[in-house]
Amino acid sequence: MNTDVVIIGSGISGLTAAALLAQKGKRVIILEKKSRPGGALKRFKRQGIPFDVGFHYTGGLGKGEILRVLWEHLNILPGLSIQPFPPHGNDQVSIKDSDKTVRCFFSYELLQKELQRVFPHEKHGINEYMDTIRSICSTIPFFNLDLPLTPFLRNLFGPANTNLADALKTLTKDQELQTILNTPAFLHGVPPENVSLATHAIVAHSYYSGAYALDGGGQAIVDAFVSELNKAGVHIKTSCAAQEIMVHNSRVSGVRSSNEEIHAADVIFTGHPTHLLDIINGQVFRPVYCNRLRELKNTGSMFIVFGAVDDPDSLQETTWVNYYSVQKGMGLLAVHPESPENSSMMLTTPGRRDSDAISTNSARGVILMRPADWCETADFQKSETGKRPAAYEDWKSDQTEKLLGQAHKLWGGTIGEIKPLAAGSPLTLRDELGNPQGGVYGVKHSLGQFITGARTRLPGLWLSGQGTLMTGIMGASLSGFVTAGEMLGLEELWDEVRQCR
Amino acid sequence: MTYEETIRQKVIEVLVDEFELDQELLQPEATLYDDLGLDSLDAVDMVVALEKAFGMKMNDEEKIRAVKTVDDLIRLIVSIGEQHAN
Ligand SMILES: Cc1cc2nc3c(=O)[nH]c(=O)nc-3n(C[C@H](O)[C@H](O)[C@H](O)COP(=O)(O)OP(=O)(O)OC[C@H]3O[C@@H](n4cnc5c(N)ncnc54)[C@H](O)[C@@H]3O)c2cc1C
Repeated sequence: MNTDVVIIGSGISGLTAAALLAQKGKRVIILEKKSRPGGALKRFKRQGIPFDVGFHYTGGLGKGEILRVLWEHLNILPGLSIQPFPPHGNDQVSIKDSDKTVRCFFSYELLQKELQRVFPHEKHGINEYMDTIRSICSTIPFFNLDLPLTPFLRNLFGPANTNLADALKTLTKDQELQTILNTPAFLHGVPPENVSLATHAIVAHSYYSGAYALDGGGQAIVDAFVSELNKAGVHIKTSCAAQEIMVHNSRVSGVRSSNEEIHAADVIFTGHPTHLLDIINGQVFRPVYCNRLRELKNTGSMFIVFGAVDDPDSLQETTWVNYYSVQKGMGLLAVHPESPENSSMMLTTPGRRDSDAISTNSARGVILMRPADWCETADFQKSETGKRPAAYEDWKSDQTEKLLGQAHKLWGGTIGEIKPLAAGSPLTLRDELGNPQGGVYGVKHSLGQFITGARTRLPGLWLSGQGTLMTGIMGASLSGFVTAGEMLGLEELWDEVRQCR
Repeated sequence: MTYEETIRQKVIEVLVDEFELDQELLQPEATLYDDLGLDSLDAVDMVVALEKAFGMKMNDEEKIRAVKTVDDLIRLIVSIGEQHAN
């Protein structure tokens, strides 16, 4: 079989790259090893209740903002119903061992007011923090669409590469305020000592500028893409793992999958970059690059409980609020499996935000998460999905109970009794999403770690995905765009996309 | 061996082992781009490999971009080493 481009992986990065390339007349085939397309954006159901895994909320969907502009360009928007968080929507952050609860609104103005209300003596630090975040983002083309892309992408070190912890400490001595300003770490998975101010700013700014849900959650994005890709003649082959990237005369010649050989001049790999080495003869690269791929460090993991309440009305208040309980200081992502009371936690109800939530039962779904460590699963790491030992199920039940107990103490008054329906551990994240060590966001975008970008030394081989640019739906979508841009002409494609502002 | 010679030897080792370059080509005045065939894509690999080999951080983009020859590279490492020592 012949085609122009084979894309390995049907997550949002692969779908985005496919749509852009197809628009330019390329023949594209997507290979996906799982039985359904969508990667982390797929929803799954338990007792008829749909649950999101990799999509709780996103920024970038306001008018003129990059994700919306990109989706407009790709004609995905008509298939989607975007639900902006209303002004009272927020990340409600309570700090452990403190009486402070802060509502982090998805608006610079409202957030600033709230922070000044809770920390009246810290006005200066608060204002300076916000100015800093905004001014960093004004130099980044994905937020300031007038800028060209190439200088940003070719920069070796990126902007603002000091660490967040130090930056926060100079802005304020108030540990509780530091904690609050740290909270976006939950959304990029890197502790404040390791994250650059710029990486933090990119994630924080995208939410401070507005948060959005979508009817049908991440699945709706996948469905909208699949429908457009079908129209454009892109084949998505599911249950079809890429087993070898074929190389001929020092360039890519195609992909061998579980069922066939597909010949193509270009191949995009969107899985975790370390896994590239599983399906290509490493000798096509220099040792230095193989070592880089092999030694990439990953974000920490999460333990996740998917549960339900009997009476969806009891959850009314939670619809537009994400509840966070966090450790004071810089230890937001620290892992305390045996003492859940010390662990940070998040409670969210993305299904409730669907406009037909009540009739489709999604209003009952609750998702709880806590930071988790790969070592917690040490005894079970050799097992695969569907073949886990009984002891693993026991451990999972035990951890689920602990998390539910803690959630009950913290938020029981608001949400009532949660019945657990499913749980995900670092092993689930490894086996379902292909993230080594169950890293929740894959490759760690941390200071001192050079991520591997879209271009490789092997002609015809390209990388894409959250590990190659930025994390999250927005980051992974943009990585798909950047990879397609590197193939087609970066600035030309950027110009076309920007026209959809 | 002088400090600079030690550095030179180690830089050459990295270029031979990690970049599979021919030792004979690694003359002081050899240019990275024309003579050794490295390009902008290799810049990150170079920084990663040298940071690891010398256990230090390279973060001055301008100085890195100014490196044209093997000798420039060695002098850059020497100067970063001296900064660290101070
Ligand atoms: C628990 C959780 C919560 C999250 N919450 C949010 C959120 O609220 N907001 C937000 O913006 N982001 C969130 N994210 C992050 C976001 O989901 C991801 O950044 C994004 O979906 C990654 O997209 P991707 O295309 O890079 O990778 P993926 O979605 O992982 O896609 C990669 C695909 O490649 C396939 N693949 C890999 N190797 C092969 C092979 N050899 N052959 C065939 N197929 C292969 C995989 O099966 C997979 O389908 C969350 C993530 C998690 C895990």
